[in-house]
Amino acid sequence: MSLLELTDVNGYYGNSHVLFDLDLAVDRNEVIALLGRNGAGKTTTLRTVTGTIPRRQGGLTFDGTDISHDSVDEISNRGIKLVPEERRVFPTLTVHENMQVARDMTSGTEPRPVEEMYEIFPVLDELRENRGRNLSGGEQQMLSVARALIQSPDLLLLDEPTEGLAPVIVDDLYDVLSEVVEQDVTVLITEQNVDFALDLAERAYIIDKGSNAWDGTVAELEQRADLLDEYLSVGAVE
Amino acid sequence: MVSQGLIVDQIITGLSIGGRLFLIAVGLSLIFGVLDVLNFAHGALFMIGAYVGVVAVQSLPGGFWIGLVAAAVGAGLVGVLIEIGAIRRVYDREELDQLLVTFAFVLILTDVVRFVFGTGQKTIEAPAVFRGSIQLTSSLTISTYRAFVIVVSVLTLAAIFLVLRTTNIGRLVRATSSDRDMAALMGVNVPRLYTLVFFVGAALAGLGGALAAPTLSITSSLGDQVIIRAFVIAVIGGLGSFGGAFVGAYLVGLTIAVGSLVVPGAGELIPFVAMIAVLLVKPEGLFGGVEA
Repeated sequence: MSLLELTDVNGYYGNSHVLFDLDLAVDRNEVIALLGRNGAGKTTTLRTVTGTIPRRQGGLTFDGTDISHDSVDEISNRGIKLVPEERRVFPTLTVHENMQVARDMTSGTEPRPVEEMYEIFPVLDELRENRGRNLSGGEQQMLSVARALIQSPDLLLLDEPTEGLAPVIVDDLYDVLSEVVEQDVTVLITEQNVDFALDLAERAYIIDKGSNAWDGTVAELEQRADLLDEYLSVGAVE
Repeated sequence: MVSQGLIVDQIITGLSIGGRLFLIAVGLSLIFGVLDVLNFAHGALFMIGAYVGVVAVQSLPGGFWIGLVAAAVGAGLVGVLIEIGAIRRVYDREELDQLLVTFAFVLILTDVVRFVFGTGQKTIEAPAVFRGSIQLTSSLTISTYRAFVIVVSVLTLAAIFLVLRTTNIGRLVRATSSDRDMAALMGVNVPRLYTLVFFVGAALAGLGGALAAPTLSITSSLGDQVIIRAFVIAVIGGLGSFGGAFVGAYLVGLTIAVGSLVVPGAGELIPFVAMIAVLLVKPEGLFGGVEA
């Protein structure tokens, strides 16, 4: 049984139909890359899982339970945590307070100690008393990931984690995330930076215009320059 | 020429008006700061608090103190009913819809109170312990009750700051106020938190009403008078800012009192002029932003 399963999911923003009969299955402790062009429906797929899309139809189960009627906070409290594309650190709270809120709101499982995050992200240690809004993009991304990790997620959703980050920060983030995926956490990651995602992931889904286009192992995908050309139209995998 | 003694006298009057106004404005500011809803019914909740105070004083020995608690809890519970029953359903609508819904409750609550208590004015006296006055200097006194209201307003501000700054729930309220969607994604039950905040905001209005009761003549239209001033204060201080509401309330209290010396009869007008000036020059208010 897959940890997360989407079956024939259709998604809508108001009157516009954006996801079409989408299928997706993520097994426990797997790392899955969700790839596709800008606007293909990657973020929308994650929003389907977190319950923040205005309207969706179709099957959505987590750990065998139907979660399609759960509210956003109920889904979160089942252990599904999102690191959103825009980072969404609380701007008026300090770094430390951002983490404390994450710790306090963890339910159903033991949160990880805030101090542990300062060991994983030493840069945040020096910024404890800085407000979220005063952090650089890279620092906000670190904080956003740390905040999600504190809540000991069973399923971690990473939405475009490298977007807008300087290459050196991307390397730091890669180091942290590759350690994260070693632990028993399941990860679903969307990325424009295909290399970044494929280095972390074991399997990949390509979506195009809101529908499934391809899925298979990363090893297979790396042999298929044609797929990367057709659906991602960015520099192919070396 | 206006005598010095008179000016100092008016300053003290202004401070006591300010203390009373702060208790109204702070709840309005809290609800706006966290829920992003301008609660027009806030004045009506203040009015309910005043009536609860009247009933308690008239029917119970030691009723004043019981009245303060009952007014806070009573107005808070009415607020919860309003939030769950109606306002919760319009969070995602535009401001005009929200304003109209809360305005409907002004009319409903005013009519209900008029039906129960009639149209006559009610007055009560402060408890005996507050009936004297305090000698500040040889020529200067302040009524004990006014001093009490000022003290309560300062303590309320301190309590709100302490809760928001140093407690887990306060941190959670600040986080949710800055990004409610992210808070929900982290597992916060936002509707429940909003109901709690609405309860506290409404309770502060009720407390303000019961505290002001001995200094006012109370009618069912009391809320209409105070809501306008509360809005003026919130705009001057910056909507959602508690420090701003505090400074705004005392500023308005002082301009009403001292202004009437400078331009007799115009004291009530000056705060509105100040509000327009703030809106033109610094629209986010003197302490703008939605920070605690």
